[in-house]
Amino acid sequence: MSLFVLSLGFGVVTASVLSIAALGFTLQFGISNVLNLAYSSFMTLAGFIAYWLNTKGLDIWLCLVVATAATAILSLGLSRVVYEPFIRRGARSFEILIISLAVGVAITNLLLAFIGPSGFSYPGVQRASVYHFAGLTLSSDQLVVVAIAVVLMIGSHLLLTATSIGRALRATAENSELARACGIATPRITRIVWLLSGALCGAAGVVLFLSISSFSVQSGQDFLIPIVAAAVLGGIGQPYGAMLGALIIGLASEVSAAFINPSDKEVVAFALLVLVLLARPQGLFAEAARQREVIT
Amino acid sequence: MRATRLSQVPLVLTTAAAIVAALGVASCAKAGSSSAAPGAHSTLIIGLFDPFTGPDAIFGQEMVPPCRAAVQVINSSGGVLGHKLACKVVDTRGDPADAVPAARQMIATTPNLVGIIGPSSDEMDATAPIINAAHIPFVTNSGEPSFNHTHLQYYWRNTPSDDATGYAMAVRAIGLHFTRGAAVFGNDINAQANVPGLLASFPKSGRKVVINLQLAPTQSSYETEVARVIAAHPDVLFSEADSQTSATFLGEYKQLNHGKLPPVIVTNVGMQPDWYKAVSGVIGKQMMTDVTGVQTYASFTGPAYQAYKAALLGLKGVPDVQQYFTNTYVMSYYDNVMTFAIAMLAAKSVNPVIWNPFIPRVTGSGGGVVVHTFAAAASKLPGTSVDYVGAIGPQSFNQWHNSSGGFEVAQWLPNGQLKQLAIITAAQVSALQSGG
Repeated sequence: MSLFVLSLGFGVVTASVLSIAALGFTLQFGISNVLNLAYSSFMTLAGFIAYWLNTKGLDIWLCLVVATAATAILSLGLSRVVYEPFIRRGARSFEILIISLAVGVAITNLLLAFIGPSGFSYPGVQRASVYHFAGLTLSSDQLVVVAIAVVLMIGSHLLLTATSIGRALRATAENSELARACGIATPRITRIVWLLSGALCGAAGVVLFLSISSFSVQSGQDFLIPIVAAAVLGGIGQPYGAMLGALIIGLASEVSAAFINPSDKEVVAFALLVLVLLARPQGLFAEAARQREVIT
Repeated sequence: MRATRLSQVPLVLTTAAAIVAALGVASCAKAGSSSAAPGAHSTLIIGLFDPFTGPDAIFGQEMVPPCRAAVQVINSSGGVLGHKLACKVVDTRGDPADAVPAARQMIATTPNLVGIIGPSSDEMDATAPIINAAHIPFVTNSGEPSFNHTHLQYYWRNTPSDDATGYAMAVRAIGLHFTRGAAVFGNDINAQANVPGLLASFPKSGRKVVINLQLAPTQSSYETEVARVIAAHPDVLFSEADSQTSATFLGEYKQLNHGKLPPVIVTNVGMQPDWYKAVSGVIGKQMMTDVTGVQTYASFTGPAYQAYKAALLGLKGVPDVQQYFTNTYVMSYYDNVMTFAIAMLAAKSVNPVIWNPFIPRVTGSGGGVVVHTFAAAASKLPGTSVDYVGAIGPQSFNQWHNSSGGFEVAQWLPNGQLKQLAIITAAQVSALQSGG
């Protein structure tokens, strides 16, 4: 079997996990202008919520649903209790970024205190059937992960284009002042997007833990940089850009690992990011991207 | 944006205050050097200086039970020269950037710090000179080959260096007549230190290392790497990586290789309980018998080992203490605390500057009466010379304060215990090292 074709398949799986996470991240930043570095910690939290439920005998896919919902609510709670008060007091974007970093560290260390540093696996999950087709080799779980990613991407597309909430989301992302002037309740829209991004974050956390099979409280941390990279590559705040950015980074990582020292595979992905940004600083979806104040 | 009160303080004053504070901390660090003798009847502190959080958290976590056990035994036997002992955890987070200030703070703020277990390879290069400069004896759990010929006088190591481990892995594989080895090691300094010895010794007489890959830790997938290894058709896999990385890699290997794993030879990292838990959770407990490892040799019999087991069982509040019964690194930590205490008795002083040179004299190469417990040593010292032979056996420190000894080959059993399969002597390792 061609190693190149195999690595393409593996890259699609990696990209699937990354796309779910990056979509949530970029949606939330695009609307709220909060660069939420606690995002990966919430992914870890979701993964462990699913773990706890799975140890109680709940099917892993139901655990995914419950963890997704729980993370959505926790994400909204984070914005209401932590970020919004600071924003109301005039905190700048950079200060909010530091606060989000602190929240992420706090969550990780709380998990460490309660759970410990050991590794865990979902007890109800065994890698079982493996399918070979078109030169690819993928397990049934991986196919489900890809399917989940596709469903979520299509669902996001339909939400953004075919619903009034989606139109309001896009209008707020484009110009929140004008959107408010047109009668869109932008605070409500912001809260909806925190729910949506929290849900995507939760789903990403569980599918990530499913992919790596063995996880600990540190497992989400290493994923934050690729998430941000995918979002930036596609154009920060651009949902379709995040999907494309995730696909590029996922494929670049896995395909490069087929031919070079695998410990350098992330280097290749990030080198690609730098090259793209040199040519298109706003990311791939440059025409629709909007300058965001990240550091002032 | 509204100006805050802090922003109204002149910048010069703020900067000056910061400089004064920094100088104050630095002077405290210097003043806190433990070259001064601890006060009479004060509690002597054994520092556990290792990662307690982060990917290598298990290194530090497993230091606590043996230290507590040893301290409990020593204190119940009357302590050392009128002093009780206690253990203190200092978390390096496995990062030199965190470890250096942690080391300085530990030295500055821990009166009666008399000995240290650690540091690990994660922070060894950055912190060993600091600890040595403070004149505190430290027994490291790092296998870094760069310390094979060190001149740090307060440095001690009684576990093999990583390059020797690579040779030991090759000895094992050659003995089993494997001819096509795949080397899959994490890209961290700990793991990579094993590779040169392996690459120098295995590929001879028709044997080959068919692929040599470095793994970046905690990636979301290693399937491409697995596919490369499978395509090279190895008959044995040499590996060292942290538990999450190993579990993900071996789980994907099993998946892509039709449910099978080749024989896997790992280092001591793969002989830890958390590694077992992570990997067995993915590949299944039955398949763990495919995994063998080379680690510091210790006999799991004899009076010293029985004393060690009894000490662990005497601890309260330690769940699943049996997991440490066959962990030679944990056994070495217990012996290290004992060695410190016995060296103090032999030197008739708790001042580290005075008892540091007594470490090799009381550990199995001084020609004294062999003892296996602190109580036995205390009954003979200071009048009679003793050699403490502890749970990991006799130690023989060379002029660079390294005592490596032999290796054991252990196999994981489905119940999470290790079974000793073979012993690799230091002579066998040396033979390969010299090109045999």
